[in-house]
Amino acid sequence: MFEARDDTLEYVIRHVRRPVRIDPALDGRVMERIAAHHAPRLPGLAAAWDWLVRPRQVAVSPLGALAAAVVVAVALVVMPRVGGAPPARRAPAATAAMREFQFVLVAPGARRVSLVGDFNDWDPASTPLHQTSARTIWSGVVALGPGRHRYAFLVDGTRWVADPDAPAAPSDEFGTPSSVVTVGGS
Amino acid sequence: MIRPLACTGFLILALGARGAAQDPRFSRLDAETRSVVAAIIDSARAQGLPSEPLVDRALEGAAKGAPGSAIVAAVRRLAADLGHARDALGAGASAAELDAAAAALRAGATTDVLTRLRRERGGRPIIIPLAVLADLVAGGVPADTAARAVLALAADSDDQLIEFRRTVERDIALGAPPGAAAEGRLATDAYGGVQTPARPRPGRP
Repeated sequence: MFEARDDTLEYVIRHVRRPVRIDPALDGRVMERIAAHHAPRLPGLAAAWDWLVRPRQVAVSPLGALAAAVVVAVALVVMPRVGGAPPARRAPAATAAMREFQFVLVAPGARRVSLVGDFNDWDPASTPLHQTSARTIWSGVVALGPGRHRYAFLVDGTRWVADPDAPAAPSDEFGTPSSVVTVGGS
Repeated sequence: MIRPLACTGFLILALGARGAAQDPRFSRLDAETRSVVAAIIDSARAQGLPSEPLVDRALEGAAKGAPGSAIVAAVRRLAADLGHARDALGAGASAAELDAAAAALRAGATTDVLTRLRRERGGRPIIIPLAVLADLVAGGVPADTAARAVLALAADSDDQLIEFRRTVERDIALGAPPGAAAEGRLATDAYGGVQTPARPRPGRP
């Protein structure tokens, strides 16, 4: 019984292992059939959408993937510094809608006075005022766009002073006074 | 399998996820305050509210050396005010209008005044009328008087509204009660508009 089965198995194995001759022109004929059978051309937008959503197989080496990750990480860190600049509202460049305003503070004995507000990102170093010939009077001219701007004077880097010539900012939430300048647009 | 569209979407999400925390101006805040303020700003932005007034308020607090808790409270309060302003003015309001409306609401104006002012201005921006309203209240004029004055002058130009505020402030400085000063100027219409100088010179606040 077992002998007969072994013979049958041997016969099948020999048959399966027999070399098969393939026509060398087969590849060419297959590719011709595929080319003749390609999908109809889609109009521009549909073709673009088809290209976008068609899955791709991408082979990436571990080193390549690591390099791509490094590039993305660097972009995430660098881009806020390059492209994350504050909006144009603060740009000092004069435009047609901007108007010049003169800010004046009488501050006897002050060594330095700066104008600090939302138009310069509340940066004390951004807009220093200049001492006039009267010595006690500090003055500066700033171009402002239409809207409502909060600001204050900073005397000697430590003392915040509201502008006595301007309306007070209504909410004084930080314990020091601020003022408001309103710039019309019409 | 990688879809090009999915790749693009992932990159956009990754770049967008930087959020307010990555704003270089926030380096002036301590780490804890920065993370809370950034979360408030990201949340406001997601609701369609302008972020820049919130950034300004945080930077003001940082410049003035306020404690982190005070900065967070101020930013949170302003975010709520901006939300109320947007509810009153609608999604079409500009960032500057919402900022001015938030200040007017904080000064005591009602949402009804905001919507009426929007209607009375007939499509022109309402930034300056709202700012003048807030300034008048800050000068001591009762909120309802200031609102009535601004609504009555809604058809005027921005410069005329600002000039009206200046004349009221001058009257107050000369000793007039704030409410009476506003009512008086409104009744007599004596502010007389703006005289444009022959050569533009720097204005005064």
